[in-house]
Amino acid sequence: MVVLREGICPGLTEDFINALHSEDIKTVEDFVSCNPEELAQKCSLSYKALVAVRRVLLAQYTAFPVSGADLYQELLSSTAILSTGSPSLDKLLDSGLYTGEITELTGSPGSGKTQVCFSVAVNISHQLKQSVFYIDTKGGMCVNRLLQMLQTRTSNMEEQMEALQKIRVFRAFDVFSLLACLQHLRFNGLQQASVGGGSVKAVMVDSVSAVLSSMLGGKQNEVLVLCFRYVPADASCWRIEDDCKRLQHCCTGDKSRDPGWKRMFESWTWTVVEPCSSHTCTPAESGDSRGFIF
Amino acid sequence: MQRTVPSLPLAPSVKVKLLHAGFQLATDLTDMSPLQLCKAAGISQEEAVEVLQMLRCDTQSHQERAATESITALDLLHKEQAQGSIVTFSSRLDDVLGGGVPVGKTTEICGAPGIGKTQLCMQLAVDVQIPVCFGGLGGKALYIDTEGSFVVQRVADMAEAAVKHCTLLAEDTEQKQALEELTVEKVLSSFFLVRCHDYVELLAEVYLLPDFLAEHPEVRLVIIDSIAFPFRHDFEDLSQRTRLLNGLAQQLIQIATQHSVAVVLSNHMTTRLLNGQSKLVPSLGESWGHTATQRLILHWEGSKRLASLYKSPSQMEATIQYQITVQGFRDAPDKLRPTVELCAVSSLSGNHSKRPRMEDQS
Repeated sequence: MVVLREGICPGLTEDFINALHSEDIKTVEDFVSCNPEELAQKCSLSYKALVAVRRVLLAQYTAFPVSGADLYQELLSSTAILSTGSPSLDKLLDSGLYTGEITELTGSPGSGKTQVCFSVAVNISHQLKQSVFYIDTKGGMCVNRLLQMLQTRTSNMEEQMEALQKIRVFRAFDVFSLLACLQHLRFNGLQQASVGGGSVKAVMVDSVSAVLSSMLGGKQNEVLVLCFRYVPADASCWRIEDDCKRLQHCCTGDKSRDPGWKRMFESWTWTVVEPCSSHTCTPAESGDSRGFIF
Repeated sequence: MQRTVPSLPLAPSVKVKLLHAGFQLATDLTDMSPLQLCKAAGISQEEAVEVLQMLRCDTQSHQERAATESITALDLLHKEQAQGSIVTFSSRLDDVLGGGVPVGKTTEICGAPGIGKTQLCMQLAVDVQIPVCFGGLGGKALYIDTEGSFVVQRVADMAEAAVKHCTLLAEDTEQKQALEELTVEKVLSSFFLVRCHDYVELLAEVYLLPDFLAEHPEVRLVIIDSIAFPFRHDFEDLSQRTRLLNGLAQQLIQIATQHSVAVVLSNHMTTRLLNGQSKLVPSLGESWGHTATQRLILHWEGSKRLASLYKSPSQMEATIQYQITVQGFRDAPDKLRPTVELCAVSSLSGNHSKRPRMEDQS
């Protein structure tokens, strides 16, 4: 719904808009769905001007169809596959993380999700020499651990420092800050090359459920809707860490009786292309961390 | 920076009306006056004023600005290395934790009743005050007590032992000077104690914490003993409890990161029945397990007290043995030998443990 405003196209002056407003036409949709002849009669506007404006607005706001072949070509030329550094994990993910896709990592506490994120970040920044954006919502970012991982790959201090420079850490502790961060990245950040050179190839969010779970389970479904809109963005590659048990807990509680809630939940699985669950049997907590996605 | 209207922190009803009126981006709204917005979107005057105030007062609120500021891992490494950690006076536990309880992260201590959670919390509150030249942080502590298990005499005993320990270590003049100021009275007076009786008071206290920490920047440790108690009784709606706890955890980690304090929470244990077998697990549910950065579980093995690091982003899992003495939280002795002096302790200094201790057999 785009509001008709002065200047969105040449010929749309204030008088023009006021005349349209008097006929209760406020948005572009209303305008193009009206017949220009009738409109010319009702408002005191020239038919030629109306048709000209209509043509420009249609050209600006219509969706542009793309052929399947073009899409395929674009995909072939722009997708990269990033290795995670662990051959067995690569095998599981069909040779690695694909750019343009979202991978979700779920698991019970202490199962190693953050460690996998660290190891992937280190691999991308050191081996592939590309930049990584790491959005930390839990305070789990521990650079000493990243350094430890780098030290096992190379003993050259300069290389280690270079790799660390390619990892940028953002901190967002609630859902609105996270959305602000993601939007900032979307509109500004990703185009800028980071300090160490190389383009941004991966964005990691650790973890998504930490910021969402204080809002899930209530009557507010808008938060999930926000996520559906912003998470599958046009970034190179997204990686989201999730706390499977937490979402499962919220769903299997009394809220599972609410059908709207369940549907919202199922649609979440469709936005995530590559779910990958980490299982652990741990001593102090029960180990049945079944990935709810499967 | 372009912010879309749905991502702004406004009430959902207001957002729906704004979207219906055709406002997609925050920039569409900034040039309007409250009356214009009121008419265009059909919201009330107060709501319009609120929306515009939120957008104008700082085009980005403090949190959002922080979210869009990034720091490279290299700079963060220097920052992390400059932040210290709080020793626990049990050298084995310090090794397991990587130097002590880390500043800037939340640490959760879970354990059965009587295992020593409150003792460890009180020990940490004393240890944070050890001067920098002795390897401590020289800061103050805020102790939020929800159970009423805080006993001042015990802290005085621990403080005395800590001062004695430092006196033995003092070598150079700087340390000797610092030692002159370090007395039991000073340790007790650098201690802020808050008593919360229910979860509402606890939430309010955490909400007010950023202002408190801004006024008292020397506070380096915030202890909540325990976080489980106010939430474990009197809650019919468990999903509300989960939401409140998760919101609380996010606030705490934000405070820990922004004000460079260590946050220590103590949690209870509950029994979980699985396949006919019962197991002791930390309470407050599975989702709570994800929220703390580090988790330490204290448990019994026979009459030995063991501490296991269960979850940590940077340290390996490990289990060590410890003991509680009159001086406080300490390493367990290496060999099993009758420790006569410890027995005498229990009757003299006022035994504050929850079960009779039989230290000579540990």
